[in-house]
Amino acid sequence: MIRWLTAGVNAPLLVVCVAFGGYTVAFGNPYSFYVMAIAGCYALLVVGFQFIFGHAGAVSLAQAAFFGIGAYVSGLLGIKLGWTFDVTFPLAILLPTALSVVVAIPVLKLEEHYFALATMGLGLVALLVATQWVALTGGMNGLAGVPNFIVFGFEIKSRFDKLVFIWSLVGAGSLIAWQIMRGLYGLQYRIARENSTAAMSVGVNVSILRFVAFVLSAAYAGGAGALIAHQIKIVSPQNLEFAVMITCLTMTVIGGRTHVVGGIIAAVVLVHLPEWFRVLQDYRLLAYGAAALLMVVIAPEGIVGALQALRARVLPEAPPPVPKPRVHTVRRSTVDSGDFLLEIQGLSKSFGGLQAIRDVDIALTPGEIFGLIGPNGSGKTTLLNLISGIYLPDRGRVVYAGQDVTRAPAYRIARLGLGRTFQNINLVGDMTALDNVAVARANLTGASLTRALTTLGRDGALHAAREHAVHLLAAVGADDVAGQRCDRLAYGVKRRVEIARALAIEPRLLLLDEPAAGLNEAEQIELSGRLKALTKDGLTILVIEHNMRFLLPLAERMSCLDDGALIASGTPDEIVSNPAVIEAYLGAPEDEDA
Amino acid sequence: MSFVQLLFNGFALGMAYALVALGFVLVLNAVNAVNFAQGDLVMAGGYMGVAFASVLPVPAIFMLPVVMAAVALIGLLLSLVAYFPIMRRPPAAVFISTIAFGVILQNSYRLLFGPEAHAVRPLFESGTWELGTLIVSKQAAAIIATAAVLMGIQYVVMERTQFGRRLRATAQNQSMAAALGIPVRLMIAATFAAGAALAGAAGLMLGNQFLVHPIGGVNLIITAYIAAVIGGWGSLAGAVLGAMLIALFQVIVSAYVSYTAATAMLYGVVLAVLFFRPQGLLGRGEARRV
Repeated sequence: MIRWLTAGVNAPLLVVCVAFGGYTVAFGNPYSFYVMAIAGCYALLVVGFQFIFGHAGAVSLAQAAFFGIGAYVSGLLGIKLGWTFDVTFPLAILLPTALSVVVAIPVLKLEEHYFALATMGLGLVALLVATQWVALTGGMNGLAGVPNFIVFGFEIKSRFDKLVFIWSLVGAGSLIAWQIMRGLYGLQYRIARENSTAAMSVGVNVSILRFVAFVLSAAYAGGAGALIAHQIKIVSPQNLEFAVMITCLTMTVIGGRTHVVGGIIAAVVLVHLPEWFRVLQDYRLLAYGAAALLMVVIAPEGIVGALQALRARVLPEAPPPVPKPRVHTVRRSTVDSGDFLLEIQGLSKSFGGLQAIRDVDIALTPGEIFGLIGPNGSGKTTLLNLISGIYLPDRGRVVYAGQDVTRAPAYRIARLGLGRTFQNINLVGDMTALDNVAVARANLTGASLTRALTTLGRDGALHAAREHAVHLLAAVGADDVAGQRCDRLAYGVKRRVEIARALAIEPRLLLLDEPAAGLNEAEQIELSGRLKALTKDGLTILVIEHNMRFLLPLAERMSCLDDGALIASGTPDEIVSNPAVIEAYLGAPEDEDA
Repeated sequence: MSFVQLLFNGFALGMAYALVALGFVLVLNAVNAVNFAQGDLVMAGGYMGVAFASVLPVPAIFMLPVVMAAVALIGLLLSLVAYFPIMRRPPAAVFISTIAFGVILQNSYRLLFGPEAHAVRPLFESGTWELGTLIVSKQAAAIIATAAVLMGIQYVVMERTQFGRRLRATAQNQSMAAALGIPVRLMIAATFAAGAALAGAAGLMLGNQFLVHPIGGVNLIITAYIAAVIGGWGSLAGAVLGAMLIALFQVIVSAYVSYTAATAMLYGVVLAVLFFRPQGLLGRGEARRV
């Protein structure tokens, strides 16, 4: 508790929230209760929007649409059928949720800009339907007469009671949002958002995370919409309008894209701004626009993020303690998969007119270190991307551990125990080395939404993942930087952190893309020794490397790739004396004459 | 209304849309980010036309150079406050900042001109010519001619001048352009200005028939956006064609069904395009480098 209070800006935030809440309750009047209750509806909307916009990092412009639909569902059922809030509230959540599931199928796989457009179009259509279907919605003017909140027979009448009711739901929603994101499950969102390729390479199913975030956003928006319908007692197209979307976006940008309390504070402040500054009445949206622009430029992490950064500069806290290394092996040791762990047959891939890989066959036996060499542009990295599922081959087969994984998505291949590193490092810069490695444990430890929701107290899975991560960082000689942000690490250290991350999925096959690049000679020898030690435990390694002094003593077998095709295979000695290999690297003798 | 008539009306609308889409894609290519304020810049052109007309009651065509220059300045301002300070951040940041800039524009219009709609003067004059059964509105003919001239100028500048080559080099590879001594920031600022100028011209043209109002830009940004998607993200010719297709679609479907249905169906078509051909109708697929 004391550590929580002294960490970051938790203590001042707590004081501000308690003080403001206390002030509202003690000195408020019915009108201020009314305004504060509306702020609660927006707070819930924003906390929901943080899932898709903040955690999944996708600019969705459909949040207002889900909000408006939720309002219509609960409001219209109340007006037309006289259903009570305890029935209509779940339905108001359910309908936007179902809609988001349907929309997500075509829309979620879209790249950023397309996603924004598609979600904006959804809002547009919802608005058109609401204004045109006059018989149902009352058209532009909407319908008045939404009943009070009636929950299990109790009618909530006074403005103060409504305030308490709405803010209890805000509290519950915030708690759930925080609970989902605080542990190992939530950590996956950070890597998926910052570097989806890296995320897939450690078995994170990026698409499903985005899907869950989108659906949760819609559910929260629907709930928030139902609340505002019964609070203001009118349902109208106003709730669907782009102005609501702008308001929600501004609140989220100001509060911080991923900070629950920040989002709530921003909602409260922005709803009250026109109350506090009467002059703002007419300029409200103008002020919102200016504030959002200013925040994007000067404080991209929002007010809470800015305060945290300020505190880190003025009063730096000790870095969070790094746990003691402890092995938590999950995957069963080697399953017999025949003679070859990896078998590639006739693999081909072209990009437009360029034949990047042509008819490549490779077979790796368990426990060996296999070297793949070839001049720049010969297709080595492309081959790695084909094996690990980042590219789909045009022809050929990839069989790993007895399973055909030719067309399997990258995250599934990773889950089967195929780890990799990248030529141009793919670490999340603003995460610690420790968490970059720990997040790779998420799939093995069975991190899931339900487990995140039912975890009480400390997230044991996250702690165990971190303990194991320290152990792996030590195994590659990088445990001394465990608590540091990755963008501050030296190049060679980053490479080692990437190897530790690949090891965290407990791979049986490790694909290394130029692991020795940028290492000095002593570091190369050290790395070589560590890799050899790993194969003692049954690991198989495929290394792409230019550096022969590093590779020759390490690899047991080698192949050489030139212009997308294998031109030689054999022992290291055979390869270096092979005339075709020498020609590929140094050019044909007659070239020199010319 | 005869089908030929619809085609003609749609073509005129498409020419104006094409200017908006061209400006959108110019900026998109230069900075690889969406300028969400493009629709609001169109409205800026319309409001300038309204404002000038109250001072100097001449046909709108005479205001065109002044309006384009003035909206270009707003585009410049946009690049200064909403792009350059965050140019190193992910594209989503620019997305949000240009939305915010657009909101500022919208509400400035509301404060300056009120919430009601205004009409811009016709480019030359109102009225129609009758060619057999075809009724040619003089405004539509003027839009087609003016937009064609502007597109021609845009093409010649981009393809035939040293300035245009520098713009294209900047759009293709900023660091390489910088290494060749091209003032990259200046080129980007010029692109924002040019994109805004085209939007302003479109505003002056569209504001007669469709009026200008504070949030009229929202539909236009969606139009430009969809045009860019259909035309293959980043293709100038594709954007023009995409804009034309959207206009024809809107005019024809509105005539037979309703505007609401046209908008909803357009959205459905776009979703289908995105689903089956994420690279656009005319775009070529490209591999991401890992």
